[in-house]
Amino acid sequence: MLKSRGFLIFSYSLLGLLSIMMIVPLINVIATSFSTGLGSMQPGVIFWPDKFTFEAYEVLWRRLEYWRPLMNTIFVTSVGSIIHVFLSAIGGYVLAQSSLPGKKLIAIIILLTLTIPSQIIMVPLFVVFKQFHLLNTLTSLIVAELVSGFSILLMKTYFERIPIELKESAKIDGANTWMIFLKIYVPLTFPGLATVLLFDVVRKYNMFIEPLIFINDPLKMTLQVALKSIVLNDQVTSTNDIITPNVVSAGIVLALAPLILFYPAIQRYFITGIYSGAVKE
Amino acid sequence: MSFQKMGLLGPMGFIGQENYRIVFTDPTVIQSTISTIVIAASITIFGFALPILPAIAIHEITRITWKRLFQTIIYMPYLFSWVIIIGIWMNLLSPIGLVNSILVSIGLLDIPISFFSSPNFARTLLVAQTVWKDLGFNAVIYLAAIVSINPELYEAAEIDGASVFHKIRYIILPHIYPAMQIVFLITLVGSLRTFDSSYLMTNGLTADKITTLAMLIYERGLLEFDLGVASAAGVLLLAISILFALTASKIVGYK
Repeated sequence: MLKSRGFLIFSYSLLGLLSIMMIVPLINVIATSFSTGLGSMQPGVIFWPDKFTFEAYEVLWRRLEYWRPLMNTIFVTSVGSIIHVFLSAIGGYVLAQSSLPGKKLIAIIILLTLTIPSQIIMVPLFVVFKQFHLLNTLTSLIVAELVSGFSILLMKTYFERIPIELKESAKIDGANTWMIFLKIYVPLTFPGLATVLLFDVVRKYNMFIEPLIFINDPLKMTLQVALKSIVLNDQVTSTNDIITPNVVSAGIVLALAPLILFYPAIQRYFITGIYSGAVKE
Repeated sequence: MSFQKMGLLGPMGFIGQENYRIVFTDPTVIQSTISTIVIAASITIFGFALPILPAIAIHEITRITWKRLFQTIIYMPYLFSWVIIIGIWMNLLSPIGLVNSILVSIGLLDIPISFFSSPNFARTLLVAQTVWKDLGFNAVIYLAAIVSINPELYEAAEIDGASVFHKIRYIILPHIYPAMQIVFLITLVGSLRTFDSSYLMTNGLTADKITTLAMLIYERGLLEFDLGVASAAGVLLLAISILFALTASKIVGYK
């Protein structure tokens, strides 16, 4: 605490200003999305819709079939994230075993994978997926992000905090490795699992380059790619009418909505996750 | 793969350094390498330094509701995908959008600027949007370090008659140095692989300014199917990333 009145006032004004910078663009988009098509094309400051209507959402839902990419994204996100958490937990569990030979080296190799930009592996991945006939399937999006070094290492730090005595006593009672993992490690590291899950849900939900490259069937398009073609006004849809700003805004608002709904949970675990990740031993 | 001629059709095979010769002489590759470095450097400098002050400010506010509220709002853009961010800003900065309307109505501008199709604003916008998006995330990392500072230090400094500036300079900054190293490296490595924002903002007018190497790999490899050249450009990007990351970690002394 700096205990200075002047700095406190400065703090409030600085954060107030920053919050306005974050909030104003959002309000602008939300207000535009409820405006009429004509109203949204007028120049001016829009903080409140000119006439409150769901016109834009109707165009989006019926004409542009926005529900289809939404369903695709929900499928990929839910299935993909659950598998991701499960595999990361197993990976972290193995790495947390003190008896594992070459543990340090494996951890370093996993850490190194984090430094490789994902765009670089996209080209080789594309070739591999082509040979496996995975192109143009939603499975490819799940496979592409199946595990990540970050999640494994995060789970490892969580597992390592569990005292080894617990494991030993369970072993004496006759539990096998699976039971120790499922009955002791998983319940005790629930915050860790939730952090990894939410990180991955957000990442899969926002995944952009993978669907862009691997999928060109309009029926299998994901939300972000569909939103991209609306925002950038690509004429991928068969309808030839102009997409008005209110439809674009409605698309953005619908894509935002799930994130905002999950936000309280995300904030709780995300921020604790960052705290625990920030402290390196 | 970077030593082969690869495509979906036609001859394939080992062609030695040909791909690398193309990569090092092609003007668009050189242009995009320069763009990548300029953009990454700007994002790293601003994205690393700017969140420190908000983090101190959040720590300073003692009323829990306000603290939560500010933290929540500032952190929010980090969750949004690039498509959403670009969409929001396009709406705000379009010729009929909020910013132009205000600038025109108070008489600063005669005709609205179309920010997104102007090569002069392209890099600035890209950097500004990245910093805006990541500000909250980095501020939370700094906040985690600030929270763990022993409060007795401030009291001791107060007895010695230290001013606010002195306390920030001699207590907070040294204590958050490890966090600063982490943020610096994360931002640097992340900004070198700028793709989404570049892809979404590129149009005919701004392509020269904001086509990054990651974007070039995508164009060459997956749109033109020149997989050999794309792989060579990928190796170049990887080399730049590793070089920068190693130099940076040497400089900041991170282990």
